[in-house]
Amino acid sequence: MWTKPSYALIVLLSCILSGSWGFLEHDSWISIDLHHSLSPSRPEYFSHRGNISIPSLNAGLSTVLQNELSESELEELKTLSQQNGFYRLKATVTYPNGNTQRFLTSSKACSLLASQLNDVLWISLDAYGFVTGITAAQDPTPNGSGCSSEELAQIKEKRFRSDVIIRHAELAPVPDTGSFIQKYEREREARERGEVRDNRGFFAKYWMYIVPVVLLVFISGATNQDAAK
Amino acid sequence: MHRPLHIAGGLISLSLLLLLSTCSALYEDQIRKFDWRSTHVGAVKQVHVDLNHFQPRVLLSTHEQVVASLCPKSGEIVWRQVLEQKARGDIKLLQVSGFSDDSSDTAAAPVGSRLGFDMLTIQGHAPALVRGWNTNIGTIEWEWSIIPLNTERAQDALWFYSNSVLYHVVPVWRSHLEVTAYFATSGHTTGTTSKIMAAWIKTDSCLLSGTYFVCQDGKQLISLDLLAKSTQVIATSLEAEPTDKIEALAGLNGVLIANKKLVSVNKDQAVCPELSSASYVLGSFNYRKVVAYADLADGNLKINAVYLDNCSPVPELQMSLAFAEHYGTPSLRSFDCKLKRNGDGKSCLFLFGTSAESIVAVQQGRVRWAREESLANVIDTQFIDLPLADTEGTLENEMKGKAVDANNLKRDIVSAFMRRITTQALQIKSLFLHVIGLGPPPTDTQRAGLVRDSFGLHKMLVLLTRTGKIFGIDNIAGKHHWKLYLPNVSGFENAEEMRLIVQRSSKHFPLQPLCAIVAKFPSSGNGVLFRFNPITGRAAEGGLLQLDFQIKQIALLPETEKDFVKGILMLDATNKVHVQPKHATPLADGMYLYTANVKTAELEGFYVKHAGNDLTCTPIWNVRLGGHNSEQHIIGVASKNPIEHVHSQGRVLGDRSVLYKYINPNLVAFVTQAPDATHKSVLNLYLIDVVSGSVIFSMTHRKVRPPLHIVHSENWLAYSYFNDKVRRTEITTIELYEGNAQANNSVWSSLQAPSMPLVERQSYIIPTIVEALRETITERGITNKHVLIGTASGGIVEMSWHLLDPRRPISSTTQGREEGAIPYIPELPLPTENHINYNQTIARLRNIYTAPSGLESTCLVVATGLDLFVTRVAPSKTFDILKEDFDYILISIVLVVLTSGSLIVRHLASRKLLKQAWK
Repeated sequence: MWTKPSYALIVLLSCILSGSWGFLEHDSWISIDLHHSLSPSRPEYFSHRGNISIPSLNAGLSTVLQNELSESELEELKTLSQQNGFYRLKATVTYPNGNTQRFLTSSKACSLLASQLNDVLWISLDAYGFVTGITAAQDPTPNGSGCSSEELAQIKEKRFRSDVIIRHAELAPVPDTGSFIQKYEREREARERGEVRDNRGFFAKYWMYIVPVVLLVFISGATNQDAAK
Repeated sequence: MHRPLHIAGGLISLSLLLLLSTCSALYEDQIRKFDWRSTHVGAVKQVHVDLNHFQPRVLLSTHEQVVASLCPKSGEIVWRQVLEQKARGDIKLLQVSGFSDDSSDTAAAPVGSRLGFDMLTIQGHAPALVRGWNTNIGTIEWEWSIIPLNTERAQDALWFYSNSVLYHVVPVWRSHLEVTAYFATSGHTTGTTSKIMAAWIKTDSCLLSGTYFVCQDGKQLISLDLLAKSTQVIATSLEAEPTDKIEALAGLNGVLIANKKLVSVNKDQAVCPELSSASYVLGSFNYRKVVAYADLADGNLKINAVYLDNCSPVPELQMSLAFAEHYGTPSLRSFDCKLKRNGDGKSCLFLFGTSAESIVAVQQGRVRWAREESLANVIDTQFIDLPLADTEGTLENEMKGKAVDANNLKRDIVSAFMRRITTQALQIKSLFLHVIGLGPPPTDTQRAGLVRDSFGLHKMLVLLTRTGKIFGIDNIAGKHHWKLYLPNVSGFENAEEMRLIVQRSSKHFPLQPLCAIVAKFPSSGNGVLFRFNPITGRAAEGGLLQLDFQIKQIALLPETEKDFVKGILMLDATNKVHVQPKHATPLADGMYLYTANVKTAELEGFYVKHAGNDLTCTPIWNVRLGGHNSEQHIIGVASKNPIEHVHSQGRVLGDRSVLYKYINPNLVAFVTQAPDATHKSVLNLYLIDVVSGSVIFSMTHRKVRPPLHIVHSENWLAYSYFNDKVRRTEITTIELYEGNAQANNSVWSSLQAPSMPLVERQSYIIPTIVEALRETITERGITNKHVLIGTASGGIVEMSWHLLDPRRPISSTTQGREEGAIPYIPELPLPTENHINYNQTIARLRNIYTAPSGLESTCLVVATGLDLFVTRVAPSKTFDILKEDFDYILISIVLVVLTSGSLIVRHLASRKLLKQAWK
């Protein structure tokens, strides 16, 4: 229950972040074809899962079209998760100039089923808008919700619901000499005008006076006690 | 409520600043107490032994571009000049006056400086630097340079010296030779450049022998005297085609070594053609020219010599001596005899360079001294705990026995008691025997003083060098305990060096520690494993093991239960996995591996599964950092130290909340670099989880180029690079945080990890050139982490993470101050008192390695380069050890006085009470 809103927040946040730090000088579009390997007996066979088109990498909005799993495919996925196998996803990225690049990502079949076929596709871009990696991830499931046969039997969901998040490369910081010089200048001007305001705490400012006084009080208190006796 | 906290925060930051300002420098009397340095010159290139100078000397140039003078008696460095690196500093010629290649100027002639120089060197090609040296103190006396018109051709240029004139020979392959003469000391040309047509010259088969330019063509030697009036080409046929490259015999004009035999292409120079040896050298003995030669046969080095004029043997110079295997194959480089001691040959010094990059001096039939110059190229190091003393060992055994039988407690108590009694009885017996002098002799390691100390500061430093020579060095005394040489190993593709791996530590007492070297067999390209005991330096578990596959990636498995060996998991070129030793195979189940191709910048992840005695390896992810046309190349990969412990899981903020660190042990930083049209050069940093293959974070630097140095630890990363725009070296630091809550605090799983950590980043200017970066590491990770910065000037600066912290606030807010962060200043300070190697400069510093000691406060450091420097640092001061100037006497006196005083006072008080009671 709790994960959903926080998740939406992350998406929103990432959109803001990508808007502010990482953006491409030449915006472009990409489309991604998804194929997945479900059968534990035939690990090299990849069947079509769907495709994603992203019309603008800077805007980060996407259209996702995905096939529904057939009954047999769902069963295969269940067998795979019983063996604690990997659900492997092959993504073929097509760029505007017709070039294609192939990416592979994996997640535990069990956590995909446990999340009711909801997954997040993270698409990482480099500074020029080329894809560096695609990762399919599920929301972390609470511990214990494993893939026992009873739990698997209850899963009937066959439709994938995927969110696509684009991660841009950010621009690295440079040594901030400007603001440091400004700060230094401001302090110097303030000193020249004689209005250097000490904004330290009271104790931090006057501890050198307070400590001896306190010590004196203690000492005198101790001697007074002796005298009283 | 808020006020006191605020004050406390202020105090903390104040005390922090105070702490930082007090330096951790050494006191004068601590110099060389915890550290030592050994200086090297590198593998020898040209060498001249000169025993007849008023100051006997060995002058040499090396492949590390060093010119040095050694003491012929001890091999110590008299002076050393570390010259320019790379192609610019490549030493092409070392000419010592009196050792002229001109045949008229014999080696036996008295040394005079009438030639205007003592020694001259020629370095590089564009510009070619000619320097005259004062060989007594190692200073440059004069220098001139030339810039050739065609720099590309000049790369293959050769130089020779004859009668005060230096000749610059530029071969234009398959066309002609361009010869220019310069006065050696002034650099003025003597005339114009002469072109000599020679269509027969080919790359890689030609050389200069004195004034002769010689090329090998099949079974023929084609040569030309460059100083002769006529440009007549002489062809000399050989008996057979040479298997190795032909070499020139220095000192004789037109004499070459081909097929282990001497060949002369100069009609005026007779040689002794029936000799056969691996190495020859020309010298003089009893005022006659001799050719000495040396060969290794069955571990014995045989040195012989013949007079050049009649080829009769010189019995005085004949000797045979045992030659240690770890020196490798020797080749005789120079020899000289004292003239005044007439005739017995005992004063002759033979100097050898070996395949293990040692310099060995032989005199009077024994090795007089040897220098281990392979230490100038250390590629991997490990600190190994020393074995326990025997008594402690039995005690350790007893503890172990207890731990194993803990389930059946009743019997255990009795048996443990019995064992304790017997071991103690045995200890008393051995002590008694030891006292009366009948005890068992101490073992080798004990005799060498190799017994573990109580603080774990004394360790065996194992160094692997580029030539395949391995050293076991005492990290406190610097003594070489053992040396091993593997002649046929080399580094891997992708410029990956050989690896030194600890397979079993010294913790498992009766079992000896075990190290392994993973390398490539150069001829076949297959992998090689060499297992050895790092304390004794002897081969173990069968020693050298040739593998029948090429190694692409290696990983260490957890310890086996049987013999506590950490298996090595290897991925071969066809993506199959292998485990060594075989019985550790089941432990490879569930391992993840990744590979990175430097050229295409493509990463691949694999999952290893063990089913039915078989290992399978499935690719599970890939990442392409190469951009569209693979123009990006990986220039740096940094993972975390696998033995690292992170003690503190979070950082306390100004408002007393905790910011949890993102501590992902599988996070690896990759840096790629490529030229760029608009920004000149672009550097990209990627943080990638190598188990799930997800790109956690990426960042781009514009107008930035290598050299790149990177250090990755805990939740932070620091890397240095050169900023091309403002022409300075900068350091960027990154810290990763999970946020105010921790996702899974017990076990980390990359497949269920928080996907987006918070990334704090900042850049700093560092007013020096960085050559190496390394973090300090301690046993439990409680001590602060400092970053050790190796600079180009050979210093190591210990920098606190507080200064590199990316959270240093730009405006001095109260929040930042309460957090204990220092306000941001763009330039990092490099105070001299933070140089941990004070004046012990490390020439050509290349790498710094750190290892924890037994004390939490102390971290052991070894810096490698041309020199080797070993020390220890205490980033948070030595809080768990008493100062060495701690006054034990004073504290004992105070204790005794106080105790006795209290007793006396008590006695007096009781007497007083008694008296009062009587009143």
